Amino acid sequence: MGKKCTNPPIVEAVCEFRLVQDTRWDLTVPGLFYEKVKDSFPDREQRVVQEVEVIQEPQGLQQRVRTAEHVLLFAPDRKMLIQLGPRLLVINVLKPYPTWREFKPRIEMAWEALQQVVEIKGLERVGLRYINRIEFPNQDVKLEEYFEFYPFVGQRLSQQVVAFISGVEFSYTDDRDRCRVQLRSAIGEEKVAVILDIDYFVARARAVGVSETLGWVEEAHSRVEEVFEGCITDKLRSMFGEEVA
Amino acid sequence: MQAAPSNAMASPWRVPITFLSGSRSAPEQTPIKTMFDMLADSLRICGEIFWQPQSASISMEIESMLSRFERDEGVRLRHTDRILEYLLQHPELMEVVPVMVEAARRHFPQAQLVMDVYQDPEIEDRYLVLYVRLEQYDESLVERLEKAEEEYLSRLANKEGWIQLTTDFRKPE
Repeated sequence: MGKKCTNPPIVEAVCEFRLVQDTRWDLTVPGLFYEKVKDSFPDREQRVVQEVEVIQEPQGLQQRVRTAEHVLLFAPDRKMLIQLGPRLLVINVLKPYPTWREFKPRIEMAWEALQQVVEIKGLERVGLRYINRIEFPNQDVKLEEYFEFYPFVGQRLSQQVVAFISGVEFSYTDDRDRCRVQLRSAIGEEKVAVILDIDYFVARARAVGVSETLGWVEEAHSRVEEVFEGCITDKLRSMFGEEVA
Repeated sequence: MQAAPSNAMASPWRVPITFLSGSRSAPEQTPIKTMFDMLADSLRICGEIFWQPQSASISMEIESMLSRFERDEGVRLRHTDRILEYLLQHPELMEVVPVMVEAARRHFPQAQLVMDVYQDPEIEDRYLVLYVRLEQYDESLVERLEKAEEEYLSRLANKEGWIQLTTDFRKPE
């Protein structure tokens, strides 16, 4: 991911900041924030999103659906956008991924702009997520030839696999951080494709201080790169046009 | 790998996993257990592991929405990569597209619905299109299309992207 590829698989990279509930947030925030970033993100749109919240309660996991209005601020080429919702800041960059050197300054700009308009009391969650869509030229794919991380099921089970999901969470920094890695089949009938989804995040609220946040993001990026490289084989690297050492 | 039974979908994967949803080529069949059900089960079983939310990805939201169309509404996706790309460019449409699909399904319950991206061959104009395919076409078609359109058209105001409900007058595949 940090290496130059002629055919990079990244369809989206996401950096998300969820603020703690005691951070004051009102209807003026999106407008004030827009004023700070409008030179880089001039196109403003809105959408209503539904979020499913899963809460651990004594009687088990409870699901709640809530509706929130998000402001979307697009860069002129619409390849990068900011989503702003109640106590939520998300920076999304879409295919073609412009390199970390270009993405990181936008994250910094958005985070600093938010700090100028809101007094941030803490972070409930910070996450850096990279979604890779890998399309194969052939119809008969042996996952083990392309991945170092893939589902294994013994020979006594059916060989007729049409779809799959596999996932694992790794612990980092004394379990302050987690990295969730998922490999699953992608939709679409024309091409055989998989999604390799790497989400690195802070596992506990307030575990990273507000002033440490951008340092954490840089560290998270390094971890995501390590995990990505650990998930793939040289055969897949060569498909991306990535140089193999 | 063993040969697939004649009525089974050809398997592209050489690593066996687990049981699957209904065949994507036969959307009218009720899936035995969908990937979403499996995921929900996993969430319940492994709640301690995977209960935390994920970062808000637009591409995954789109994939999830399209997968739902395939599974629940029997929508066939043509040029999935182009559909994904168009919706990534116009995520504001994600709240309108489901309304269009539901309206199309309600007004054309027997139709095959095919989603694609229309690209004008002469000018730089692209939009998402949902084709209604019927066994037989009659003069009520235009009126029914217009009624379905009425249900979502106002939601496209102030949106940069566009979606179109129409027909290509083909027979269902």
